[in-house]
Amino acid sequence: MSVQMVTKRKKRKSDFLVAVPFMIPALVGLVVFVLIPGIRGVILSFSEYNVFTGEVKFNGFANYIRMFQDVHFANSFMVTMEYVLINIGFQTVIALFIAVLLHRFTKSHVVKGIVLLPYLISNVIVAMIWYWLLDYNLGFVNAIIDSLGMQKITFFSEQLAMPTIAMINVWRHMGYTALLIFAGLQAIPKDVYEAAAIDGGSEWRIFRSVTLPLLRPVLAFVLVITVVGSFQIFDTIAVTTKGGPVIATDVYSIWISREAWGNNDFGYASAISVFLMILLSVIAFAQTKLLSANQSDLDR
Amino acid sequence: MKTFKTIAALAVAAALPLSVAVAPANAAATTITYGLWDSNQLPGYQQCANDFHKANPNITVKITQAGWDDYWKKVNAGFLSGQGFDVFTSHLAFFPDFVTNKQILPLDSYIKKDKVAVNSLYQPGLASLWKAPDGHQYGLPKDFDTIAVFANKKMTDDAGISAATLANLTWNPTDGGTYEKTIAHLTIDKNGVRGDEKGFDKNNVAVYGIWMEGSGGGDGQTQWSFLAASNGWKVNDGPWNTNYHYDSPKLAATIKWWAGLVDKGYMPSFAKQNGVGWPDQLAAGKVAMATNGSWMTGYVFGLKNAKFEPILAPTPVGPTGKRASMYNGLADNISAKTKHPAEAWQWVKYLGSAACQDVIASKAVVFPAIPSSTAKAVKAFTAKGIDVDAFYTHIKNKTTFLFPIANKKSQINTIINPVMDAIMSGTKDVSALKTANDQITALFK
Amino acid sequence: MARKEKEAAESEFLAQSTGAKIFGWVSLTIICLITIFPIYWMLRTGLSTTRLLFEDPSSLLPSHFTTGGFQRVLGLASLDQAIAEGGSGASVNFGQAFLNSVVLATGITVFQTAFSAAAAYAFSVLQWKGRDKVFFVFIVALTVPGIFLLIPNFLLIRDLGLMNTLLGIALPQILMSPFAIFFLRQFFLGTNLSIVEAALIDGAGHSKIFWRIVIPLAMPQIVTLGILQFIGSWNDYLWPFYVGSGDPSSTVLTVALGVFKSQTPQGSPDWAGLMAGALIAAIPMVLLMIFFGRRIVGSIQASGVK
Repeated sequence: MSVQMVTKRKKRKSDFLVAVPFMIPALVGLVVFVLIPGIRGVILSFSEYNVFTGEVKFNGFANYIRMFQDVHFANSFMVTMEYVLINIGFQTVIALFIAVLLHRFTKSHVVKGIVLLPYLISNVIVAMIWYWLLDYNLGFVNAIIDSLGMQKITFFSEQLAMPTIAMINVWRHMGYTALLIFAGLQAIPKDVYEAAAIDGGSEWRIFRSVTLPLLRPVLAFVLVITVVGSFQIFDTIAVTTKGGPVIATDVYSIWISREAWGNNDFGYASAISVFLMILLSVIAFAQTKLLSANQSDLDR
Repeated sequence: MKTFKTIAALAVAAALPLSVAVAPANAAATTITYGLWDSNQLPGYQQCANDFHKANPNITVKITQAGWDDYWKKVNAGFLSGQGFDVFTSHLAFFPDFVTNKQILPLDSYIKKDKVAVNSLYQPGLASLWKAPDGHQYGLPKDFDTIAVFANKKMTDDAGISAATLANLTWNPTDGGTYEKTIAHLTIDKNGVRGDEKGFDKNNVAVYGIWMEGSGGGDGQTQWSFLAASNGWKVNDGPWNTNYHYDSPKLAATIKWWAGLVDKGYMPSFAKQNGVGWPDQLAAGKVAMATNGSWMTGYVFGLKNAKFEPILAPTPVGPTGKRASMYNGLADNISAKTKHPAEAWQWVKYLGSAACQDVIASKAVVFPAIPSSTAKAVKAFTAKGIDVDAFYTHIKNKTTFLFPIANKKSQINTIINPVMDAIMSGTKDVSALKTANDQITALFK
Repeated sequence: MARKEKEAAESEFLAQSTGAKIFGWVSLTIICLITIFPIYWMLRTGLSTTRLLFEDPSSLLPSHFTTGGFQRVLGLASLDQAIAEGGSGASVNFGQAFLNSVVLATGITVFQTAFSAAAAYAFSVLQWKGRDKVFFVFIVALTVPGIFLLIPNFLLIRDLGLMNTLLGIALPQILMSPFAIFFLRQFFLGTNLSIVEAALIDGAGHSKIFWRIVIPLAMPQIVTLGILQFIGSWNDYLWPFYVGSGDPSSTVLTVALGVFKSQTPQGSPDWAGLMAGALIAAIPMVLLMIFFGRRIVGSIQASGVK
C-alpha cells in the first residue's frame, strides 16, 4: 500500500508516555552523575571547602567576587578564546574538506583509517610527541627548517605556545571531526546530488548550495560539540607547557585544576567551574539557535 | 518496554561479577602499602622490604611505584578514598599542606617509645625539616640531595678546560668570575667561534655554555639558588618564617647576572629552552653544562654516548668566599587514614635505620641521611666510576642551606613564578621582584 | 542490491571532472603525509634504545635499533635488560590490563550507545511537549567541566563501595552520553520520517519501530558513534586512574602503561617503552575499524518510499 505524501504532518497525540521508558536510563545517568554532583558543586562554590578535612565554610559570594578581580580571570578568558578560535576554525574547515574528499573522491577504507589514526593515540602521547618534534633545539621540524636555511621557530614561546597547542589538537581531531561530518554526508540522499549534476555545476557550487545547507543539523552539532570540548582543553597543556610560559597557556581548566589541587581551594575552583559552565551554556544555546539546529532542511 | 526490562536485567547481571571485592587477607598477618616515585630506587627499597619481612614475619610491605605526576595524584586520591598508601615517600613541597589538612600522623609518641635518636642520628639539619610549626615530628629523614654542575667532559676537554679548573670556579654578580669565563669559552656559534673570542655571533649559537632549566620560580633550587646564597641571600629568616626577602638587592643582582647570560648568547632564551629537558640536551650535544640535583646523577651518567661524557663539578665560590647548595631531605610519612599505624611505624622506623639506609647506599642512586650510610653511598658511586665529591663537598664543608618550607607555598608560587618567568623571558626586569615580595608579604597579614 | 551494483552506483556518485580529481588526490596525499609522519616517529622511537635516543634526535631512523621497548610493554624484559637500555624497570601486567580495557570499553560502548539511541529517539521521532527543553538539559550536561564532576563522582563511587572495580569506572558513563544523544538526535531529525508514519498507521508500536526500522536505518551512524565511543573509553586515563589503579583487576591499559612516563620532574619518560605501548594499545582500535569500516560507509539512504 503506498502512502500519499502529506504536506503537513498530522498532529499526533502526545508521545510522552511512550517517551518515558526510552529516556529512563539516560535520565538516571544524567541525574545521578551529572546533575546531583553539579548542583553540589554549585553549592560548594559559595563556600570554602577543604576536600581532605571535609570542612565546609559558607562564604556567600566571596569566591565569585575574588574570581572577577583575579588577574587570571581575564587572562584565562583571553587565552582560552584564542585556543578555541584557532582550534575550531582550522579544525572545522579542514575536517569539512576531508569529509567532502572522502565523500566525493574516494571510497577507500584505507584513507578513512589513516585519517582517523591520530585520534587513536591518547592525547597525552600526542602532546608529548609534538612537544619533542617542535622542540627548538632537538625537534625534527626545526631541524628541517634549519637545513633549509630558514630561521628556526620557537613554537613554545609566549606568543606561539597557544597557537601551537591549538594546531596540535587540530592534527589529532581533524580526522575524527571529518568522520562525524562524513556520517552526516552519508545521510544526504543521492538523488539530490543527481539533480544538481543534471542542472550542471562545479564541485564548489554543488558544495555551497547543496551539501552545506543539507549538512546543517550535523554541522551545528559538530560545532557545538567541538566548541564546548575545546573550551575544556586540559591534557595537552598539562603535559607540555603547564600553563606557561608565564601565563600564556593558562586556560580555564588548568586554572581550575591548580586552584583545586594545588591550592586545595575547592570552593574557589567550583566557582570558576560554575562560571565556565554558564559561559558554555550560553555559547551552546546561541550556536544552536543561530544554526537552527532543531530543524532539518530536508522537507520530505 | 519489555526489551528495556531485559536490557536492564542483563546489565545488572553482567555488572555483578565486575564489582566483587577482593577477599580480606589473613587477620594475623598485616600487609601495609608503601609508595615511591623513583623507579631507580625500587630495587633498593624492595630489598629493604624483604629484609624487613624477615625481621618482622607478620608484616608484609607491598611497594607501589608511580611516576612523579601520577604519584601525587595517587597520594591525594588515597586520602579521599581511604584506600591509599599506608606509608609514602613525602616531599617538603607538599609537607606543609599535609600537616594543615591533617593527612599525616605525628610520630612523636612512637619516637619516644622506641627511643629513636632523631636529632643526632642523621645529617645535621635534616630532622628539623620534618618538624612542623605545631611542634610535632612527622618524618624520619631518609635521604638528602645537593646541587652540582653536570658537564660534558668531551666539550671541556676540547675547550682546554681541566678538571681542576672546573672544580675551582669562582663567581660574582658583577663580571661573573671564572664561572662566566668558563661558560663563555664553552659556548660555540655556528661558525665554530667561541663565546669569549672575537667575532662570536650570539644570534647563531650551535652549542650553549649553560642551560636555563626554566626560571626556577621562587626557589631556583637547581637554577640560581646556589649563586644567590653564595652572594649572601636568604629567601626568609628560617623554616616556616614569613618574613620574605625577594626584594633584596643581592637577589636582584644575581638574577640580573643570570638573565644577562641570555643576552650574551651563552644561555638559550626562555622561549628557546621550553621543551625537551636539559639531560637530553646534554646528551645531544646542544649544551656543555647544566646545574642540577644529585638525584639526577644515575640518569645523566646513563646517557653517556659518543658525543657526551658526563662529569661533575661543584658549584662556584661566591662573594661570601664560600660555595653554597640547597639541601633538601626526603622522609616517609604515615597516612592519617592508615588502618595499621603500629605496623606502619615499624616500617618507617626501619626505613630510617642504618639497616635499610646501607642497602640504599649500596645501590648508588641517592645519598641516605645517616652519615655512615652516606659514606657508603659515596663509595658505591665511586665504584661505579662516578666521582660525587661535587655533591658531597657541601656536607663536608657545611655549605648547605635548607630547602624553603613555608605555609601557603602554592599561593606564593602563584605570585612569584610568573614574575620569575617574565624576568627570564625579558618582559620584566628585576624590579618586579619587589612588587612580588610585597604581594607575598600581604598573604600573611 | 548486489555488491557489484552497489559499488557501481557509488562510483557514479564520485566527482567526475579531471581538475577536481587532481586537486582531490594531491590534497589527500598531503593530508595523509601530515597525519602519518608523527605516527612513523612513534614507531621509530619505539624501536630505539631509550638511553641513546638523543644522540641523534633528528634522525629518521631508530637510534640503536632494539625491540626492547616492545618487550618491556609486554612484560617480557628482565629488570637488567630494561635498566641497560635506560628503560623503566617497572612491571606491566599487560595481559590483564589489556583484558580489562577490552571489557570496560566494550561494556561502556554497547550499553551507552543503546541507551543514548533510545533517548535520542524520544527527543526526535517522538513528539511531546517539553521535548526540546528536556533535550537542552542534556546539552547543558555537555558543558559541565569534567574537573567539576571528578571529585563528587569519585566520592560517590567510593560510597557505593565500587572503588577499584571495573563497574565503578564504567558507571558514570555507561548510562548515557550527552554527545551520543545529541549526535543521534540530530541524525534522526534529518531522516525521512514518512517510514515511521507508515509503520504507525500500520499499527506498529514504537518499540518495534525503534528496533526494526530506525536502528537499522541509522546503523552507519550508530557504528560510527560506537567506534568513536570505544576509542574514547579505550584511551581514557584520568578517571580510570583515580578509580581503578589500586588493584590489578581494575587497572586498564592506559593506566598500566603509565609506568613509562617520567619518574622525576626533570627526567624524561622511557620513550621507547611509552611509544611501543601507545602503538600496541592502538592495535585493537585499528582492528575494530577494519572490521566495522564497511558499516561506516553504509547504505545511502533510500530516496523514497515504495
